[in-house]
Amino acid sequence: MSDPMQNDPRLLVHAYVDGELDPAHALELERQLARDPALAAERERIDALRQVIKERLPPLPVPLALARRIDAAVGSSRTPARAFSAPPSWRALAASVIVAAGLASSATWFEMRPAPAEATADMVVASHLRALMAPQPIDVVSSDRHTVKPWFNGRVTEAPRVVDLSQEGFPLVGGRVDVIGRTPVPTLVYGRRQHLISLMALPSSQSRLGMPSERTISGYHIVTWTEGGVTYWAVSDVAVSDLEAFAKAFREAPA
Amino acid sequence: MAGNEDDQARFRRVVLPHLSDAYALARWIVGNATDAEDVVQDACLRAFRGINGFAGGNARAWLLTITRHAAFTWLGKNRPAAMVGVDDLEEVERKELDRGLPMEGRETPEAALIAKADANRLEAAIAQLPVPFREALVLRDVQGLEYREIAEVIKAPIGTVMSRLARARNRLIAGIAAQEKVGEGVGKT
Repeated sequence: MSDPMQNDPRLLVHAYVDGELDPAHALELERQLARDPALAAERERIDALRQVIKERLPPLPVPLALARRIDAAVGSSRTPARAFSAPPSWRALAASVIVAAGLASSATWFEMRPAPAEATADMVVASHLRALMAPQPIDVVSSDRHTVKPWFNGRVTEAPRVVDLSQEGFPLVGGRVDVIGRTPVPTLVYGRRQHLISLMALPSSQSRLGMPSERTISGYHIVTWTEGGVTYWAVSDVAVSDLEAFAKAFREAPA
Repeated sequence: MAGNEDDQARFRRVVLPHLSDAYALARWIVGNATDAEDVVQDACLRAFRGINGFAGGNARAWLLTITRHAAFTWLGKNRPAAMVGVDDLEEVERKELDRGLPMEGRETPEAALIAKADANRLEAAIAQLPVPFREALVLRDVQGLEYREIAEVIKAPIGTVMSRLARARNRLIAGIAAQEKVGEGVGKT
């Protein structure tokens, strides 16, 4: 760290706009910004650059064909010894859990302890991706909620609320069962132009209303909220504004 | 739960959520979508084989490290000229410094001009950065990693991350100003 550049304010200003300076250095740099117009102009240029990159070059979702290739490559690269014990595919795994869910009539069979939010968010995105990779991302294909809702009976402990949002531009495409942690959860699939939105309904110990919050994991947006003892996770590669509009429409739709 | 999940399940939990980050980094390093797909597939196979070596912690940084390595292997094979040695680069930079302050004499466009840069020009300007600068910029400004995560991925001290990022941004700003000038010239004639 003998580089004399390390204390150059024109270098530190980058760390400053990135929020990476410790409070003492940040304070010192703010003083320098106040008395050095050239440095202040530099800071504005950096801010403008960061902003324009963020706006014009958003992270790209991974191409579906690539995701499928990887799934196939990883599936086939198992050692033969493992191949017997490992399930042939996630769908078979999911199916076997669905069968188990049907056999075990008591909900206590499942571990209902909620996973930490971060881990759940990762699993939600992974389930969405996995579903997109499968030849058919939906187990029950129907735009009719009176077909989709009963399909969940016996497959999950509680069928989800299914609403018609076609008027709002989010036609119902179908449903499937995902496994989050060890809990099979109902997932509704809605469309938005060429994109799919997965809406997972996880049982929640909280009965009070939780306002929507939003996050992004590697290009996939997630909006989550809690209502009526259920935590909803909406995940998709549509624009955040579209996903927020979807969440709003779902929450406001009559049951 | 981690104890009894098989490698495939582990791979899906650890790697899949960060697949598009891996794809983005590969695309920016190798420069096109098709080759980036091959790089990511290679990286994922390496990640799968090494999944039991992942000790927990930052899964995204772990996958990006593997992806970067796979991308560099690809570059070494297919675009050896792009593999600017970091030592050469630092040497060039040092000479620039010795000749005078690097900020002097370079373009200092208005922030408003930078804000107007369109996606194609921006992409072209980033593509022209030497790889060590480009990867620092992409990891921070496109993919939003923190300095310590970038340091983990590129295996360099945080001070190096900071100076490469600053140099990448400075070059980009100068590049946008130069392109803007060319654009104006074309517009006038």
